[in-house]
This record gives sequence, structure tokens and C-alpha cells, in this order.
Amino acid sequence: MSSESSADEWIPSERDIDENGIDRAQIRAMLALSPADRLKRIEEFVQSLLEIRQLNERRTIR
Amino acid sequence: MNAARFGEILRLLAENDVEFIVVGMTAGVLQGAPVTTIDLDIVHRRAPENVARLLRVLREIDAVYRHDRRNLQPKESHLVSPGHQLLTTAYGDLDCLGTIDDDLGYDELLGSVREIELAGGVVVKVLSLPALIRSKERAARPKDLAALPALRATLDEISRRPPDADS
Repeated sequence: MSSESSADEWIPSERDIDENGIDRAQIRAMLALSPADRLKRIEEFVQSLLEIRQLNERRTIR
Repeated sequence: MNAARFGEILRLLAENDVEFIVVGMTAGVLQGAPVTTIDLDIVHRRAPENVARLLRVLREIDAVYRHDRRNLQPKESHLVSPGHQLLTTAYGDLDCLGTIDDDLGYDELLGSVREIELAGGVVVKVLSLPALIRSKERAARPKDLAALPALRATLDEISRRPPDADS
């Protein structure tokens, strides 16, 4: 698979973007998940923020 | 906060028979909205016996006030009030809200909830998407208004699904 086609997979089709700029394909992907898996997504998001925050706390300002 | 384990908070609340409703953006995510949040918002029933059960869970997860360097713990007098208790816990930030939209408490919101099953068979009450949208419209802060298109589009997508589709 070329890098171009790989990148294309991440670009939503224009027909999936509604008049408010909302990616309907993303909503359908969320609806295909179980509520437990949707919750896991938030947990992963917050966990990544925590890790970034902790890394920043360890930074030495020179 | 040491970790983000909202599912664990919900499991503990449910297993300890705490009466509560998940509100805020977590309610939206649980119903399929592609939005995000950094805390878990609940509206709890403010009856003394329920507040006692809630307090037991809050102690178990080391809940303290989020914006207070003294690490103050919530007390019964706080949780029976209609105010908002913004807490941080070992499992993530948790807002225990006495009421939302000025004066809607647990009992008033009960008619606008749906039950959602999570991992391990844990069933929680969640503010329905139409009620969440109405709540965001009333709040009308910039962050609420910004979330509305995604919430409305999610409701629209759900309405297009076959009636037997699990949402």
C-alpha cells in the first residue's frame, strides 16, 4: 500500500461531512461500538492528557 | 488524579446502590456522540441515605475537592445541597452535581434518562440525548454551543438506524 493511499484512508469522504462540518462517518463508527468501548475511548483520551501533564512536570526549564 | 477509570467509578457507584444519572459529555459519548471530555459528571439523588452511600464510594476512591490545595473531602452537608462538587479521585475527575439547569435534580431528570449497560453487566442511568441537547441549549455557554452540532448530528444518525439497532 502506498503512503498516499494510506493517508487517503484517514480523509473522510466529502459526502460524510454535513453542513455543520460534522463527520457523520465518525458518528457511525462510534455508534458501532458498545457503550463500554465508547467509555474506554474517553478513558484513553484522559489518560493520554495525564501522561502529557506528568511529562511536562518532569521537564527542566533551562 | 492518578488514572482515568470512569468505568470503575460507575461500577462502584452502581454496586453500592447509589442513585445517580450520568450527565454532561460523558452521557453524550455513551450514546455515540463523537465528543470528548476530561471528567465524569453525575447528578445524584440528594436524599440522606443515598448521600451516605455516595460518600462511602467517594472515600473509597479518595475523592477530594479539585481546586483546593488542602485536599478537603466532600461531606454530607455538601452533597445534600443543590450545588456542584468538583472532585478529583484516584480514578479521574468526578463532578457530583446536586442539580443542573438551575433547578433540575435527580427526581426531575428521571423522566429523561435511558439505561445503558456497561462492562460486567453494570447498568447506569444516562441523561438521554434529546435531554442533553436541551440542557446544552439552555446553558448556552460557548463550550455548550460548540458541542451542539455533534450532539444533534448523533441524534439524527440514531434516528436513521433500524429500530432494532443497538445505540
